[in-house]
Amino acid sequence: MVSCSFCGRKAVYVSKALGRAYCKKHFLEYFDKKVRRTIRKHRMFSEKETIIVAVSGGKDSLALLHYLVRLSKRVPGWTIKALLVDEGIRGYREITIKDFLRLVDELGVEYRIVRFKDELGYTLDEIIEIGRRKKLPYHPCSYCGVFRRYLLNKAAREMGGTVIATAHNLDDVIQTYLMNIIKNSWEKIVRLGPVSGITGHPRFVRKVKPFYEILEKESALYAVLNNLYPKFVECPYAQQSMRWYLRKYINNLEEMYPGTKYSMLRSLLRIIQLLEDKTNKIIEGEIRSCRICGEPASHDLCRACTYRLELGIMDEKGNIIRNIDTGASGNQLPR
Amino acid sequence: MVRVRVKIIDTDQEWLVEAENGARIRDVLEKLDLNPEEYIVSRNGEVVAEDEEVGEGDLIILYPVVSGG
Repeated sequence: MVSCSFCGRKAVYVSKALGRAYCKKHFLEYFDKKVRRTIRKHRMFSEKETIIVAVSGGKDSLALLHYLVRLSKRVPGWTIKALLVDEGIRGYREITIKDFLRLVDELGVEYRIVRFKDELGYTLDEIIEIGRRKKLPYHPCSYCGVFRRYLLNKAAREMGGTVIATAHNLDDVIQTYLMNIIKNSWEKIVRLGPVSGITGHPRFVRKVKPFYEILEKESALYAVLNNLYPKFVECPYAQQSMRWYLRKYINNLEEMYPGTKYSMLRSLLRIIQLLEDKTNKIIEGEIRSCRICGEPASHDLCRACTYRLELGIMDEKGNIIRNIDTGASGNQLPR
Repeated sequence: MVRVRVKIIDTDQEWLVEAENGARIRDVLEKLDLNPEEYIVSRNGEVVAEDEEVGEGDLIILYPVVSGG
């Protein structure tokens, strides 16, 4: 039997990188301490906050909502609300929404669901099909990421949010780090800190990542131990992304060389620190307001409006152009 | 030799694996070309570390760690 390094009970988790084994009780204590340390170290929240938790219905975001609701019981000035962006991915999102609704109901949390179909006129499946027909060079995850961030910020602001908490974990962060090294996108790397985004724009809601130092395996274990683990279902577009391959590669490295992931995170934090003075040069230009929608933008147009114009789903005045043919079924899954 | 059943939750992926006496769960996963880093393991209904030894007739359920999207 593998025993807990602290009490000798049966272990549920072994961290080779730290050289310790944890029983259920000591794992949950370790998890709680680690997240609280991250929150404190990076000053993620003040005493009075309306925290909008971005929840997809996947295990990481369900775990984050569960964790923050528990933590908020110790902080009287915090209000927790949940926000789900429904992209409209057939065979995927409708399943994770059920897990989301079950948990918000159980926790008694106020929530909102924002849909691509309502806000943009089309589901992600339809947008991808329109993009294919127009031969636009974008990957499904690019549309999804841009529109999701756009709607998250907008809806969180409308909900009175002072801060958005996302469930990005250590694995997500180092995968993005590696992707951006490969793409030579240093302006994205300097924004990969635990508190991120463009500040100083009146329409921008600050984003924080309380699970920044939590391994994906740890967040999954937290979900399993708290009976939050949702029905396992994969996004049909996920396997088309570079992230999919990098994740496998990093996991193999971690298995062979325990501690690789922590080391990569330290590397990222160091490079962000080294680039701090040069940040203004790396991120070109000032923060502006999009001339169509008024949301934060680094150019004349924000990314979401640029995509919408290219797709032809919106006119120059910001009106949705409806009834575009998106194929016989309306929703085409990836080929 | 011991025989164990391995199943990935919510999928139809299931295997019957023969392993040496004294083999650990991680050895069984290796035989299936699965990386222990990518799964939470439950043995006969109880969450365990992947360094636990397997026994005859064990049912191993794997919870994928990688998020869906």
